Amino acid sequence: MQNVTSVEMENGKEILRLMRTDHPKQALDFSLMSGAAIEVHDLVKTYQKRHHKPVKAVRGLSFTVRRGEIFGLLGPNGAGKTTTIKILTTLLAPTSGSARVFGQDVVADPLGVRKNICVVIQENAIELYLSVCNNLRTFGRFHGLTGRQIDGQIDRVSDLFGLREYLNEKGMDLSGGLKRRVQVAKTFMVEKPIVFLDEATTGMDAFNKRRTIDAIKEESRKGRTIVLTTHVLDEAEELCDSVAIMNHGRIIARGSVEDVKSMSLRLLYLTLSLAAVSDDLLRAIHIRNPIAVDIKDTTIEVTVREATEALDVLAAVRQTGLLRHFEITSASLEDVFLQLVDTKESAS
Amino acid sequence: MREVLAVVFREYLIRRTSPTWLFFDLAVPLLYLLMFGVAFDKALGHGLRIGDAVVPYNAFFLSGVLSMSSFGSAMNQSYGFFVDRDNGIFYEFLTYPMTRGQFLFGKILFQCLMAVVQCFLTIAAGTLILHIEIRWELLLFVFAGMTVGTAGWFFFLAIVAFRIRRNDTFNTVINVAYFVLMFLSSMFYPLDQVPSWLRAIAWVNPLTWQTDALRFLTIGLGSFSSFVLQVLGFGAFLALSFWFAVRTLQKAV
Repeated sequence: MQNVTSVEMENGKEILRLMRTDHPKQALDFSLMSGAAIEVHDLVKTYQKRHHKPVKAVRGLSFTVRRGEIFGLLGPNGAGKTTTIKILTTLLAPTSGSARVFGQDVVADPLGVRKNICVVIQENAIELYLSVCNNLRTFGRFHGLTGRQIDGQIDRVSDLFGLREYLNEKGMDLSGGLKRRVQVAKTFMVEKPIVFLDEATTGMDAFNKRRTIDAIKEESRKGRTIVLTTHVLDEAEELCDSVAIMNHGRIIARGSVEDVKSMSLRLLYLTLSLAAVSDDLLRAIHIRNPIAVDIKDTTIEVTVREATEALDVLAAVRQTGLLRHFEITSASLEDVFLQLVDTKESAS
Repeated sequence: MREVLAVVFREYLIRRTSPTWLFFDLAVPLLYLLMFGVAFDKALGHGLRIGDAVVPYNAFFLSGVLSMSSFGSAMNQSYGFFVDRDNGIFYEFLTYPMTRGQFLFGKILFQCLMAVVQCFLTIAAGTLILHIEIRWELLLFVFAGMTVGTAGWFFFLAIVAFRIRRNDTFNTVINVAYFVLMFLSSMFYPLDQVPSWLRAIAWVNPLTWQTDALRFLTIGLGSFSSFVLQVLGFGAFLALSFWFAVRTLQKAV
C-alpha cells in the first residue's frame, strides 16, 4: 500500500507528513521530439512448435508510449510482457500486427530500431570471462563510443552503480545481484532515446535497487523514454508515468498509475495505533458501519469507502484519548493489480 | 565496419583470457602434423604414389592439417555461441545496433585471423622441421584459402549451433560430423586408391574441395582445372552457409 499522508503524535503535536514525492520532468532533447516513442497496433505473437499446440503469447495488443515517459508493462508470469518486449527490441518477429519504435518499424527496419534502443534483457547477460571494466568497454564499443568516451562513461557509471571496487573482477566471480547491476549499468553508458528494462532489479538488494531506481528516474529526467516490466509493483508505482496491465496476452488496464488505481473499489484503509483497545472505542468504530475492522493487539485497521467516513471514525477514536498514531492509505497498484487479474481470471 | 571491429575486439578480449583456447586454436593441428604426419611418413617409407608422382606423406598431409585447423577453428568459434547463450549475452548482442550479418562477420573475421596465424605456424614448422617443399609464391593464396575455408565451416557449424539448444547434443553432432567429414575426404589419403563408393561421397564433401585446393596451392598437386572447380564449389558452399546462418540467427531466439 502506498502512503498518502501520515500523521504522528509527537509531544502532543500532530505532525503531518506527505510521503509521496513527485519527480517533475525536465523537458530535454528526446522528449521534445514530436510523436510517440512506441506505437503498437494489434500485435499478435503465436509460438508454433512442431508437434505442439500453438501458444498465443500476445493477442491483439495495442498501445502507445509517449516520448520521455516511464511506461510500465505489468502482469503475472506468462502474461506476455517479455514476448512484447522481445518484439519491440527486434529479438522476435510478430506473427501479425505492427510495432514502431521511435518511428521505425520493428519488422521492416530492425536495425533502425536497434540504433535507438538499449536493452536489459530478462536473463543475466554478462561476459563471464571478462572483467567488469571490459564488460563495460565492449558494450561501449558496440554502441559506437570512442576510447576516451568509454573511459569517461566507465568512470560515471562505476560511481553511479557502485562498481568501482569491482572493475577488475571477472564476471564469473560476481554475485547474481552484482551481475545484474553491471548489466543495468551498461545501458546507462550510452545515450539512446529508449531504454527497455525487463525485470531490471531482479536479484538486487534493497540498497542497489534504490540506486537503480534513482538512476532510472535521473535518466527519465533527461528525456529518455523508459519501458520497464517488473513484478515489484511498488517499484512501478514509484517510477511509472503510465502503466499497462497485461494478462493472457491482452491489456486489461491502461493509463496513468492514478487512473489504474482508480479502477479499484476506491477503498481507504485507516490504521490506528492505540494505547489500548476498549469496548467503548470498538463501539464508536462499529456504529459508523465500516466495511471491515481488523484488530491486532493495539492496532486496528478500519476499511471504509469515503474519506469523510475515515475522518468520522478518526474523530470518534480521538475522543477516547487512546489514539497514538494513525495512517490513512488508499489502494496501492498492487491491490488493483491483484483485483484486476483476479477478476479477469474469474471471468475467463 | 565499426560494428564488425567491435565484435573482433570482443573476441580478442575473450581469447586473451583463455590460454587453453588459444592453445587449441594455434597448436593442435600443428602437433597433429608433427606426430601423426611424421609417424605415417615413416610407416609409408617412400611416400605416396599419386598418378605418376611420388609425394612424401608429410607434404601430402600438410593441406589436410590446414583444413583440419580451419574446421577446428570454426568448430571452436561456433561452440562459442553456446557459451554466449549460457551467459545470456548472446541475446543481448542481438539487440545491439548491428545487423546479424555484421555480428557473424565480426566473429569469423577474428577466427580467420587466428586461422591465418595458425596456417603460417604450420607451414613454417612443415618447412623447417619436416623439410616440405612449399610454393612460397602462392602463400597469400593459401592464406586466402584458409580464410574462405574457415568462414565456410564457421557459417555451416553456426547453423547447427543455432538450431541445437543443448550443449551435449551439439558436441555429439559436431564430433560425429567432424569424424565422418574428415575420413570421407582427401585429408588423410589420396582418393584414387579408395573404393568407388567412398570416392563418390568424398567428391561431394566440401572438406575434400578445400583440402585439394590447399594441396594444389601448397605443393602443386592436382590440376588447375579441378582446383578452379573446387574453389567454385567451396565458394557456393560458403555463400549458401552464410545465407542460411543469417536466416537461422534471425530466428534463434
